[in-house]
Amino acid sequence: MDKRLNPQTTAIIAINSDEIIYQFNAGAETLLGYSASDMIGLKKTNFFLVEEEYQNFKKDIASRYSIKDSNFDPYQVLAKNNDYDSREWTVERKDGSTFIAHSTLIPLKTDSGESVGFMRILKNVTDQKQIESELLRKNQVLNTAEKITMTGNWQWDTVINKVEWSSNLFNIFEVDPNESLNFETYFSFVHPEDKEIVSISFEKSINDKKFYDLLHRIKSTSGKTKTIQLLGEVITDNKGHVIEIIGTCQDVTEQRMAEIKFKGLLESAPDAMVIVNDKGKIQLINKQAEKLFGYQSEELINKPVELLIPKRYKDKHTSHRDLFFNIPKTRKMGQGRELYGINKQGLEIPIQISLSPLKTEEGLLVSAAIRDITFQKKAEKKILEANDSLEVLAKKLTTQNIQLADFAHITSHNLRAPVSNLNSLLDFYKTAESEGERTILFEKFEIVINHLTETLNTLIEALKTKDDSDIEIEMLTFNEVLNKTKEILSGQILKTDTKITSDFTTNPNIKYNRVYLESIFLNLVGNAIKYKSEDRSPEIFISSALEDGIQNLKFKDNGLGINLERHGHKIFGLNKVFHRHPDAKGVGLFMTKVQVESMGGKISVESDVNVGSTFKINFNE
Amino acid sequence: MTKNFNFCIVDDDDIYQFTMKKTIESLNLAKSIIAFSDGEEALNFMIENLNKDDELPDIILLDINMPIMDGFQFMEEYIKIKPNLGKKITIYMVSSSVDIADIERAKRISDISDYIIKPIKKGKLQSIISKLLSE
Repeated sequence: MDKRLNPQTTAIIAINSDEIIYQFNAGAETLLGYSASDMIGLKKTNFFLVEEEYQNFKKDIASRYSIKDSNFDPYQVLAKNNDYDSREWTVERKDGSTFIAHSTLIPLKTDSGESVGFMRILKNVTDQKQIESELLRKNQVLNTAEKITMTGNWQWDTVINKVEWSSNLFNIFEVDPNESLNFETYFSFVHPEDKEIVSISFEKSINDKKFYDLLHRIKSTSGKTKTIQLLGEVITDNKGHVIEIIGTCQDVTEQRMAEIKFKGLLESAPDAMVIVNDKGKIQLINKQAEKLFGYQSEELINKPVELLIPKRYKDKHTSHRDLFFNIPKTRKMGQGRELYGINKQGLEIPIQISLSPLKTEEGLLVSAAIRDITFQKKAEKKILEANDSLEVLAKKLTTQNIQLADFAHITSHNLRAPVSNLNSLLDFYKTAESEGERTILFEKFEIVINHLTETLNTLIEALKTKDDSDIEIEMLTFNEVLNKTKEILSGQILKTDTKITSDFTTNPNIKYNRVYLESIFLNLVGNAIKYKSEDRSPEIFISSALEDGIQNLKFKDNGLGINLERHGHKIFGLNKVFHRHPDAKGVGLFMTKVQVESMGGKISVESDVNVGSTFKINFNE
Repeated sequence: MTKNFNFCIVDDDDIYQFTMKKTIESLNLAKSIIAFSDGEEALNFMIENLNKDDELPDIILLDINMPIMDGFQFMEEYIKIKPNLGKKITIYMVSSSVDIADIERAKRISDISDYIIKPIKKGKLQSIISKLLSE
């Protein structure tokens, strides 16, 4: 090791009263680089000192002994006053380099008290100085750091109740740095409302020998309320007795304010807010959320958010949540789907959720704004119901309108015609000149009146059919009804050599009104025979089926057919006839249609002239 | 007035045909009265007599609701054969229908002179003839 740097190396240089060096020890040789032989006998007291420092030393001595005159020898003054001087000097070595030395200057005296010179003791303190300045620098850094972070540190010697604060802690509490401190000094600043929790917490920390972090308010000297966060450590002796507590104290007023502001914002939000971290744990909820879900905030903090979600959504939700954290952006949840939350009582609540990512120091959080839409749901349901019933009503009205139009048409065509005939006949009857003429007219009257009666009866029957709301329904077998029809029409079937085949195997039965079904069979089979082709004997094929949930019945014949292009629009009209057949009255299809429609069905026809017709009934369309 | 009009009744109602014939006869205006029970029968007659002015009617009283071919369908066919007819024929649509749709539809057909609601009284028939004579 370089002896020059050894702090133990001590240079001792003795100077007589004539300022001539007479001792220069090995330490001095090491530290200054001169050899003793070089130095002893020389009057070189100050040559290794920096002139400026010498002048400062001189000034100090002058002020110490109130010497006005600048022309004096400080060494003589010290000797005269039997005083010594101790200070740091910058010392120049032989090679021109310097070091910082701690120098003590002691006057030397004989036993009789006569001054015989000085002894200068030098120690190299360069390293110490460096360490010292490093410490100072570090302390400055710490102070700056404490200022920046608004933190201070403290040590509480619990044995003698002495407290030490770092300088910034004085700033925080606004206390004079010279004041002597104990625990009570600190406690006196604790906000009155927080005194209790602070005492309890410190007591507990001492009892448990473990410091409980503490957040509380203080009232500083100027009366400002601040929020501070205390972190600490309890130190015990080897017997386990608490001897000291040390720690930090941070002024978190601003953070606290921000938090309070954030909470305020959260509370003032109209929606229930639930803030969740990336693990799906609830971090924060507002009052509205407490109200909506029926939990206290404490019951939910750090609990999985799935607690608020009905079971059937839970699995999906977890994966959705992960997805959101991967690509966090504000969005509505479950767009287009109905969402439900579940409250503490296990009741499901229809809700609407908007999600927004929230970047914080603790990582990415998600804030969910939840709106209870029970009311909207109810209103929506009501509207839907109203709409449904309106649709039903509209359908009913449309049907009724069509029926009314049908009746208007019937009265216009089928009742006005005979009435106008009666009027005309009546005119002639009045002016008839002979009995023979009157007889002819009377016969005509009879025809018209019979026709009118028939029309009226048909109409009454149709009206009755349309009006029959509680008509009797029973399970009927198509085959049985067909057999009955064949019996009734047996004469015509025989006469025309009609062949009737059927296939009811896929749908053999129907719940229907017996009279109507028999009437439908009678009319359609009867028509098929009545409007047979001259060229071939009638063949009728009747089949039933279930297609797309609709029961249907088809009557296919090989008869005359109907020119649908020409007559399609009036085929089921009253008294509409399409063939010059003596028995054509235009009643059968009209009644069939009325009966089918009154039971909620539809009848349609496909036909080719001279090939045949197929009537199709959809019973429950 | 002279008996120089051929009347044609197209209507499936026998009683109407009877009363109409009687009314026309009572006015003593008709050279002839022919009647058909539907549009097709009337059309076939016209096609058979395209250039026989003596046989063709001067006035047709056309019903709407008839089997096989109704009044409107007859008019569609009539318009097709009209260029081949050697004679001007006046057509009146006569119906018991008071349905606005029927009346409007008839009015849109330019070859129909008027729409008359049944029954046709003597006076109405007279005014039709007077109008025809004045043209």
